[in-house]
Amino acid sequence: MADEDPVKPSSSEEKKEDEVPQEEAKKISVTVKTPKEKEVVEVAENASVKEFKEIVAPKFSSEPDQLCLIFAGKIMKDGDTLTQHNIKDGLTIHLVIRAKPKTSDSGPSRPPADVNATPFGLGALGGLIGLESMGVNSNNFMELQNRMQTELLSNPDMLRQVLDNPLVQTLMNDPENMRSLITSNPQMQELMERNPEISHMMNNPELLRQTMELARNPSMLQELMRSHDRAISNLESIPGGYSALQRMYRDIQEPMLNATAEQFSRNPFSGLVDGNATGANPQQGSENREPLPNPWGGRSPGTPSPTTPRPGVLNTPQMSSLLQQMSENPQLVQGMLNAPYTRSIIEAMSADPNMANSFLAENPLISRNPALQEQMRQFMPQFLQQLQNPEIQNMMTNPQALNAIMQIQQGMETLRQTAPSLINTFGIPQATNTTASTTNSTGTTTTAATSPTTNTTTAPSAQPNDTFSEFMARMMAGMTAGHDTNLPPEQRYQQQLEQLTAMGFLNREANLQALIATFGDINAAVERLLALGQLSMS
Amino acid sequence: MSEPQSALLLRKQLAELNKNPVEGFSAGLIDDNDIYRWEVLIIGPPDTLYEGGFFKCHLYFPKEYPLRPPKMKFVTEIWHPNIDKNGDVCISILHEPGDDKFGYEKASERWLPVHTVETILISVISMLADPNDESPANVDAAKEWRESYTEFKKKVARCVRKSQEEC
Repeated sequence: MADEDPVKPSSSEEKKEDEVPQEEAKKISVTVKTPKEKEVVEVAENASVKEFKEIVAPKFSSEPDQLCLIFAGKIMKDGDTLTQHNIKDGLTIHLVIRAKPKTSDSGPSRPPADVNATPFGLGALGGLIGLESMGVNSNNFMELQNRMQTELLSNPDMLRQVLDNPLVQTLMNDPENMRSLITSNPQMQELMERNPEISHMMNNPELLRQTMELARNPSMLQELMRSHDRAISNLESIPGGYSALQRMYRDIQEPMLNATAEQFSRNPFSGLVDGNATGANPQQGSENREPLPNPWGGRSPGTPSPTTPRPGVLNTPQMSSLLQQMSENPQLVQGMLNAPYTRSIIEAMSADPNMANSFLAENPLISRNPALQEQMRQFMPQFLQQLQNPEIQNMMTNPQALNAIMQIQQGMETLRQTAPSLINTFGIPQATNTTASTTNSTGTTTTAATSPTTNTTTAPSAQPNDTFSEFMARMMAGMTAGHDTNLPPEQRYQQQLEQLTAMGFLNREANLQALIATFGDINAAVERLLALGQLSMS
Repeated sequence: MSEPQSALLLRKQLAELNKNPVEGFSAGLIDDNDIYRWEVLIIGPPDTLYEGGFFKCHLYFPKEYPLRPPKMKFVTEIWHPNIDKNGDVCISILHEPGDDKFGYEKASERWLPVHTVETILISVISMLADPNDESPANVDAAKEWRESYTEFKKKVARCVRKSQEEC
C-alpha cells in the first residue's frame, strides 16, 4: 500500500511529459494589451503574425486588418512569424486597433442621435423617414435610415436620377436660383459674412455647377466618399475649418439635398428637418472645441428632447424633438412652408402632373412595386391638393395641431410596445418604405388636421370617407402581400451570402451588412466590400 | 568576463519591459547583440495631435550609463518644437548632469541616474502632448506652434499619416 502512493504521481508525471512532445507546435500564451483592455491569447509558438492576428481580433471584437501589433519596438508585419520576433511564453505585446474602415459595422451601430444628422439621411431621407415614424413607428427606424443612406451611396444611379431630373437640373443649372436658395438660409448668410471666400464661392456659378456635376458623377462621388475621412482631417487643420466644415454641411449640403429631396419625395416635411437644424444648431456662434464629428456620419445630437423621458423606449428621439420644436416654434414651420423654393417646387409639381407620374415611373424604389405605384399615382393629385390647401398649412402652424401629432406619435409608440406584431406587419425596412413613409407622413398630418384623435394605423377604416385612410389601408395590404420582409436578413439574403462566400468574401458578418445595405444587390455588395478592403489597406 | 554594470542594468530593464510593457511605447534592441542601442516605438498618445501615429526612435546609451544620459533620436519624421529636424530629442532630463551653464535648467531637471528607459519615454510622450517652447530644438516648429497653430497641426497630421504608412 505504502509503495503505491509514490508510484501514482510519478506515473502521471510521465504522462504529462509524454504529451508535450506529441504537440508538434507548442502553445504559448502571450498577453495582448491595448490602452484599455488586456487579453491573454494562446497561440502556436511558430504561428505567423497573420494567424496570430486572426486569433487576437475576435477577442477585441475587431477585424484582423485593424490590428497593429507591436513588440520590442517593432511593428509585427503580417508576413513575419512570432519566432522571428522572439515572442515567448508570458510576454506582452502592444496592440493598437486602428479605426474601422467605415460603414459595414460602424453604420448600424452608430448612436441613434447621429442618424438624423447625416446630410443624406436628413435631406434626402431623414425627413420622410422621420415622419414615417409619426404614422408608423418602425422599430427599425435607425437601421432603415442607415440602409437608405447607404442605398443612396451604393446606388449612385438613384442619386443621379434625382439629379438628372429635369426639374432639379433647371433648378441647379440656374446659378441665380441656386444662390438664392443657399443664401436664403440665415445661417448661411452668417457664414458668408464671416468668411468672404464662401460668399465668393457662392457667387461663382461655375463652381456651383461643378459641385452638382460632381454629385452626378457616381465614380467621383464614390471616390469622394472613400477619401472623406482624410479630407476632413485635412480640413480640420485649416483655421476655423472645423466649424466651417460643419456649417458647410448643414448649410449648403442639406438645403441642396433638401431641395432635391423635395422633388424626390414631394415631402414638405423634409424642409422641416432643415428648419429643425436651423433652430437647434448648438454650435451656432461659438467656436467648437469638441472632437471633430464626421459630418458625413452625423450631426451631434440636437437639443435634448423633453418629450423623451424614456430613451430607448421612444424609438425616435429626434422625431419627438422635432415635433416638440415644431409645436414650440410655429414660425419655423411657417417659414419652411413659405420658403420660396418649397413653394415653387410644390407649384411646379402640381402644375405638371406628368412630372409626378414620370417620377413615379422612374423611381426604382416605386417601380419595383407596380401596385404601390398605381396607388401612389392615384393619391398624388390629392396629395398635391392637400399641400396647397391653406388649411393644411394653417394646421402646420397651429401648435395645438402639432401637439396632436405628437400625441399620435406617442400613441404609436405605446402601440408598438403593446402590439408589436401589428406594427411589424408594416414597419418593415424595405425599399418600398420610402414611398410608404412619404404618404404616411402626409396622411398623418391630414388626419390630424381633420380629427386629431384618429389613430391612422389602428383604425384606417374608421373613417371610410377619409381618402387617405383608404389609401393607407390599401397600401399596407399591398406591402404585406408583396413582400416577405419579416424574414431575418440572413434568410432573405441566404443565396447572396453564399455567392459572396464563394467569391472569397469570408467575413460573413461584413457580407451580411453589405447585403443589407445594398438591399441584396450582390454587385453593389461586392463593390462595397471591396471598397472596405481597400480602405483597410492604408 | 562579466558585463559592465550598464549592460546588466539595461538588460534587466529590457526584460522587464518585454514582460510588463508600459503604456504608450514598446522597446527592443536595434541589434540583439548590442544592449546599448535600443529601438523604441512610441504609439502616438491619444487625444494629442500625434494620436494614431507610430513613431520609431532610437536610444543610444553610453557605457557610463546610468551616470550619463542616453541620446534619443526619432527615426520617423516628426514635427515637434522639441525635436530637431534630424530627429534628435531635446529634453532637459536627457541633458548631461550638473548645472546648465546658461542657467536655463536646474540640476534637478537634468539627467539623474535614477532615470530608466521607462521614465525617459514617459517624459518624451508627455512632451509630445505638451511641447515646451522655451527651449525649442526646432525653431520653425516652435514658431508655428505659437503663431500658426493650424499650420503646425497640418504638418503633424502629415507626419502621423506617414508614420502609419510605414507599418
